[in-house]
Amino acid sequence: MTATAKMRSVRIRETGRDRVFNIVNIIFMIVVLFITLYPLWLILISSVSDPDAVLQAKVLLWPVDFSLTGYEAVFKYKELIGSYLNSIFYTVVGSALSVVVTLAAAYALSRRFAGKKLVNLMITFTMFFSGGLIPIFLNVRDLGLLDTRTIMILMNLVSVWNLMVARTYIQTTIPNELYEAAVMDGANHFTYFFRCVLPLSGTIVAVLSVYYGVARWNDYFTGLVMLRNRSLFPLQLVLRDILTSLTSAGSSDTFFAAYADNLGGMQEALRQADVAKYCCIVVSTIPAVLLYVFMQKYFVKGVMIGSLKG
Amino acid sequence: MSQTVSSRRPTASLGVRAGRVFRRDWQLWVLLLPTLAFFIVFSYFPMYGVQIAFRNYKAAFGITGSPWVGLKNFEKFFSSYYCGRMFANTFLLNLFGLLFGFPIPILLAIMLNQLNSKRFRGFTQTAIYVPHFISTVVLAGMIYLFFSPTNGIINSLIRLAGGKPIYFIMEPGWFRPLYIGSDIWQNAGWNTILYIATLTGIDPQLYEAATIDGATRWDKIKHIDIPHLIPISVMMLILNCGSLLSSNTDKALLLQTSGNMAVSDILGVYVYNVGIAASKPQPSYAAAIGLCLNVINFGIIVLVNTVSRRLSDISLF
Repeated sequence: MTATAKMRSVRIRETGRDRVFNIVNIIFMIVVLFITLYPLWLILISSVSDPDAVLQAKVLLWPVDFSLTGYEAVFKYKELIGSYLNSIFYTVVGSALSVVVTLAAAYALSRRFAGKKLVNLMITFTMFFSGGLIPIFLNVRDLGLLDTRTIMILMNLVSVWNLMVARTYIQTTIPNELYEAAVMDGANHFTYFFRCVLPLSGTIVAVLSVYYGVARWNDYFTGLVMLRNRSLFPLQLVLRDILTSLTSAGSSDTFFAAYADNLGGMQEALRQADVAKYCCIVVSTIPAVLLYVFMQKYFVKGVMIGSLKG
Repeated sequence: MSQTVSSRRPTASLGVRAGRVFRRDWQLWVLLLPTLAFFIVFSYFPMYGVQIAFRNYKAAFGITGSPWVGLKNFEKFFSSYYCGRMFANTFLLNLFGLLFGFPIPILLAIMLNQLNSKRFRGFTQTAIYVPHFISTVVLAGMIYLFFSPTNGIINSLIRLAGGKPIYFIMEPGWFRPLYIGSDIWQNAGWNTILYIATLTGIDPQLYEAATIDGATRWDKIKHIDIPHLIPISVMMLILNCGSLLSSNTDKALLLQTSGNMAVSDILGVYVYNVGIAASKPQPSYAAAIGLCLNVINFGIIVLVNTVSRRLSDISLF
């Protein structure tokens, strides 16, 4: 009661200059929102508009001549569908493995043991120095992992940053008394980790899953360097061919030319190319954006835990 | 206390003590094992393999069997025509990126913090984080589509205004604006998180006292918000300076075209092009360039870290 009264009195005392400030601020935010969201909106409405309207840049605020031909075309690109399934596989299996491995190491690093300093040094050093792209590539080739699904899972398995975040989380949220009590009851590190730490780590499991998941889903560079066999390509790598390969005409039509027969001839394929590209963007981006919208609080939490120094 | 313990076990030999430590800790090492194996195989093996920078690598002879050539690869790089251009391109791209990209999240955080309506603020925050989750490939694709000379929306607007269409993605002069502008669009919102957290951590009594003293919102920003943001901003600025010569290879590679080569050729992209993508790859030469770059970047980070620790007591390691 008193608090609301106070709030009200504060608001009443807002001066004219403050009111001007507020209006300017709201206008500023609307501009920011427009700049952020309009490109996304444009993609969405272009993807469900008539191909001709898109080519003539008539689609600006609302879908023009609503049509789903773009999406129909997208589902005819077998390579795209295949790469979509590949990406789901790499993302789900890879992230699950990453989370398990990272959490186990994070728990170990949250305890005191002989040799911990050396391990910490060894791990952090990789953040600041690496052999470089070429030695990494040759190493994978010498291991015989080039052009395999295995390398798509193993590359970037553990991120040092995520490991630090997880360790800091365990150190700050799980009290040491719990460990002492568990040891009194005869627990060893395994039983304590699986029976006490894991059940208390729901938040950090979510944070790690979304971080690893989004990074893997959006990664194309690993595939670009490590894969030659197109049937293993992740989605982003196929998208790269669709979206960013230029021809002399200034549009990326090579990919669509390959599907010309499916789409009723070259001319038709080119007519649909732009709409199909917008549809590809929508179809490929929705998983990551949905994950973000549903798991927002975990993303922000990850940044916050990371900014604490462990 | 510690004296009693040590007097109780005065004669434990090294072997016995090691055994005791092992019995107590071996499970921790098991939990660490996959992570350690990962870093050894995928980070430290390549560091060993970096010696190919000093050799003339031939696949048939392997890493250690290829002939030793000393610093030849490095000399070739530093005397090449492209060397200076690539260092300049890499540095300028990062410098302009920092110059334009750094202040915007701070400004956004301050303005967001001043919004009265909690709902509007929440919505805006959620919305401006979204572009962060779009992949680099899709971002590049959006640039290709929106800035296309034939059907792109930007050129349609230019044509509507009576101007001549610009082939943005082929113009060297437009590479940096496109690269940095899209970077800001994608990450400025996300980068506000730390600053917003700092602002929400400020004691509300400060604002109340200021209000009672008749401070306007502008006064509060000037005398409360900005002073609170300075330490973390300085820290972020210093840390960002550590990456002035690093390359965001995957993004630059996507935006590189035959037209904008003179500006888009940055070190990381060149290493990929020469060492892997070329029809006749030169792994040793590319590895030498990569090694140079990594050593320089490592030096910069150590320097920046020392400066940061001296100035603000904040350091990475």
